Amino acid sequence: MAAVIWAAFHWAPLAAGFKGESSRILFFHVPMAWVSFVAFMTAGVQSARYLFGSRTPQDAQLDRSAAAAVEIGLVFATLATVTGAIWARIMWGSYWNWDPRQSGIVVVLLYYAAYEALRQAIADEEVRARLSAAYGVLGLVVSPFLYFVLPRLGFSLHPEPVINAQGKMEVEARMLTVLLASSSGFTVLFYWMHSLRCRLGAIAARRLEEEN
Amino acid sequence: MGGPVWVTAVNLVIWTGLVLWLLRLDRRIRELEREP
Repeated sequence: MAAVIWAAFHWAPLAAGFKGESSRILFFHVPMAWVSFVAFMTAGVQSARYLFGSRTPQDAQLDRSAAAAVEIGLVFATLATVTGAIWARIMWGSYWNWDPRQSGIVVVLLYYAAYEALRQAIADEEVRARLSAAYGVLGLVVSPFLYFVLPRLGFSLHPEPVINAQGKMEVEARMLTVLLASSSGFTVLFYWMHSLRCRLGAIAARRLEEEN
Repeated sequence: MGGPVWVTAVNLVIWTGLVLWLLRLDRRIRELEREP
């Protein structure tokens, strides 16, 4: 991580067409957005495994795993939104422009905030797990649409994504190296945080069981 | 080339701090898991 940070600020060249040093935020903004997508997909897959599985008591772990992925995904999606807004202020003159990609991330945040609200609203553990799993599975369709389809439907101020509409990567080699290293680092960080959150959830569940 | 040193320093502090905190949390969770 330290090497990636150093490379992002001192080794990677500045991108053409970006004001000042603003392109360096790309090495954090893109991986954060990527990790939030990975998190929501993880939540969707774990939800599907819960919903279509045998639903034994052990499957409660799948429910906790989906919930943990959404929690961490929301943190990374918020960070991606904030870093994107900072970059937008430098490049476009204002923090918020209702660009399709900005609108898309707002809907993503609202969608998964509603997931959290749903979980908080239901006291019965099994009903909560079943309903939030159904909602999480729907996210497998909603998230790819909001991340990859919606921003391409109309005019967008947002720069070409790393893999452009022609399916090519037109990024300078050193920038791409740092970007891939950063994305990998953030992905590992996500799965580490996710595993810690799941283990904490399992301990809390065990304690609750012992109390009852 | 060469971004501002202070931004690099702030980022290093934030991310190193997070990793150290996660390592500490990992150790604490392991202790809790071992508890009967």
